[in-house]
Amino acid sequence: MRVERRQLDNGLRIAVAPIADLRSTAVVLAIEAGQWYEPADRAGIARMCAQTVLRGTTKRDAAKWAEALDSLGAVARLDVGSTAAAFSAQCLGDDLPALLGLMSEALRTPALKEDDVEFVRGQTLAHIERDERDTRAVVDRVWRELVYPKQHPFHAPPIGEAGVVRTATADEIREYHIDAIRPSGAILVVAGNATTDRVAEAASRAFGDWRSSGNPPLREIPEVALPATIRRTEIVPDKTQSDVIIGWPGMPRTDPRFVAARVTNMVYAADTFASRAGNVIRDQLGLAYYVFSGMGSSRGQSPWIVRMGVNPENVQRAIEVALDELRKVTEGQITDDDLSLAKDKLVGELDVALESPGGVANMVMEAELFDLGEDHFERYPQELRAVTKEQVVQTARTFLPPERHAAVVAGPPLPVELAA
Amino acid sequence: MIHALEAHHAPVVSLWVWYHVGGRNEVPGTTGMSHFLEHMLFKGTPTHPKGDLDRLLARYGAMWNAFTNEDVTCYFETVPKARYHTALELEADRMRNALISLEETEAERTVIVSEREGLENDPSFLLGEELQAVAFSRHPYGQGVIGSKDEIKLMPRDGLYAHYHRFYAPNNAYVVVVGDDDAAHLADMAAKAFESLEPSRDLGQPPRAPEPPQRGERRIVVHRAGGTLPLVMMAFRAPRATDPRAPALAALAVTLAGTSAGSDGASGRSSRLHRAIVEKGLATDVDVSFRLTKDPHLFWVDATLRPETAHLEVERIMLRELEKVATEEIGDAEFARVKRQLLAATAFGTDTITWRAYRCGEILSTGAATSIAEWYDKLAAVTREQIREAAAATFTESSRNVGWFIPEAAD
Repeated sequence: MRVERRQLDNGLRIAVAPIADLRSTAVVLAIEAGQWYEPADRAGIARMCAQTVLRGTTKRDAAKWAEALDSLGAVARLDVGSTAAAFSAQCLGDDLPALLGLMSEALRTPALKEDDVEFVRGQTLAHIERDERDTRAVVDRVWRELVYPKQHPFHAPPIGEAGVVRTATADEIREYHIDAIRPSGAILVVAGNATTDRVAEAASRAFGDWRSSGNPPLREIPEVALPATIRRTEIVPDKTQSDVIIGWPGMPRTDPRFVAARVTNMVYAADTFASRAGNVIRDQLGLAYYVFSGMGSSRGQSPWIVRMGVNPENVQRAIEVALDELRKVTEGQITDDDLSLAKDKLVGELDVALESPGGVANMVMEAELFDLGEDHFERYPQELRAVTKEQVVQTARTFLPPERHAAVVAGPPLPVELAA
Repeated sequence: MIHALEAHHAPVVSLWVWYHVGGRNEVPGTTGMSHFLEHMLFKGTPTHPKGDLDRLLARYGAMWNAFTNEDVTCYFETVPKARYHTALELEADRMRNALISLEETEAERTVIVSEREGLENDPSFLLGEELQAVAFSRHPYGQGVIGSKDEIKLMPRDGLYAHYHRFYAPNNAYVVVVGDDDAAHLADMAAKAFESLEPSRDLGQPPRAPEPPQRGERRIVVHRAGGTLPLVMMAFRAPRATDPRAPALAALAVTLAGTSAGSDGASGRSSRLHRAIVEKGLATDVDVSFRLTKDPHLFWVDATLRPETAHLEVERIMLRELEKVATEEIGDAEFARVKRQLLAATAFGTDTITWRAYRCGEILSTGAATSIAEWYDKLAAVTREQIREAAAATFTESSRNVGWFIPEAAD
């Protein structure tokens, strides 16, 4: 994969991965406006700002801006993640300058009117209400509340807390927009039907005169550790299946142990079929339809969690088996085949991800966002290959101690209370 | 049948095997059999015992999966191109040699029940399943795909094996391959892998139960505590993929709700139903879909309401908008937007190798067109009048099925 880089005078970094023979172009613009940069105790402001930004600009109202976007046939969304707010889109190759112009207009000159904030508030509260009866959303929210203290940016999911959403004012949204939506630290990644020169020219026209002053306020973020096992059951009425999370606070993407952690994750539970936990829980015991683990890639201790969908009768057993499998990893009961399979899969997936412009853009964005180096794509497969069994065992012992975990179950009442 | 296409922007090959068997081949008592069988195809053959396929594909970093719908059961793997021969070998092997042992059938039964229970947690699945059952009085499409929980629990191993032997054969399959190689070479390799397999001599016909004309609106209401947002769903009887109106119905869906669903997205907001319902603060999401199917199926229009919104208010607005698009041709600017969204969506779908293969298989297996290019030509040729005509033919009271999900307070 060929990645070419440029930078605008205002600090905006550009990375382009041209892909021949495609008609479309994938675009991701990441701004340092994710949960990590959200004001303490105001969880949800970042997402509200992002959604309000999409509701018209000082030049045209929401309907006209939407018409302009749909006239390109482009698809676009603006999401708040743990680190960045990501404006991601796909358009036909020739439409890139127009798309970047629309993105710039929304980000830099949003109307942010009272009515728009009210609309977003209504939509967001409806989503929060929906999530209260969604077992997957409930288990995620409760797990975060158990593991991260209130002052931590990952205490709440990106949609935020209902209290914040109810009280946010248009002034607060405008203030957050001025503080957070800025070119310094922003990264534009373009993959697909594009050339670096054309992208640089279009980006310069769209974002070249974007300026911001001062620095965003820094937030103090506490270190997180689980002192002991914590377990919680949340009853969600009128459901058939329980959703389960077993998890731990993870590590920043920039931690030198992160690559070994990805291999550890794959050996243990990342894949329902190729990893140990899924193999035993689904394939051998038939206890669940899905079992997988994931570790966030962020500036902080993102959740490192195992998720399962289980009949209430089987919850206790599925948790025990998941922890048994983890215990085996921490005790070094890993075969050479387990380890080589995990590494082969992670390396092989890099090739397969090249099949889509969106997949390429996301890989490039991770490398740029966390400054993984211009030679990252050459080094990364070698780094994965170099991970040893000892590193896997050590990573699991350090980050996934089976004796200190947080487990949450959301769904119907359990036949027996979850043992601590 | 083997279809091969070239795509050279990534060093991968995507192999898809489509079997003409799905929910439409089932009768009461065996609902969910095709889907159950799909699970059993991952449980080993004499050459590749259980777990072998998963681990081999994982080792290559493959993206792989399978799905069953009303018409077909489909298996795919996207692999580094050097592993294409292995993907072919695995698919050819399990086309005729799956073990489907009693022991594995029992182990997988609980997994499939778990899959069904996960779906039941979602109010829109519950409402959609019931509405589909109401919309068809005779045709097996009304049974859905996953089957009832009781029938999954009772599904006999021998029945699964007979179903497998009957339908999993080269004379009942489409192979679609897209990848970084010469198309003729990709096709030759596939032909070699499958050519010696024994054909089925017992394909027969799917149950013949043509759906009689619907004579009036049908309505259902689902009351549950398992959701908080009200839903309004409409399902209109719609023609099959081979019908000349199919491309216009695809364009009609875009006119009504754009090409990408979901309220968080910025796209599709200029569409008619988004403006009429979501922008008015009545609903969080609106979605419209028309699927390519072998037999006449449904044109779906649904909305997730804000908690305080009345079902009837939204239903009336939806009907008014549907009436409007059925009586007045859409304007120049709107038509240009719809065409551009259709054109761009075709590019987005086919710029990913896996989805190019999927799209090709869907078009071929349903008979919508003889190639992706032909289907896209049909979409490009749709006129404003055809969109209006398709709407007028579809949005009639007598072919309308309406469902409401009404959230209840928890006990």
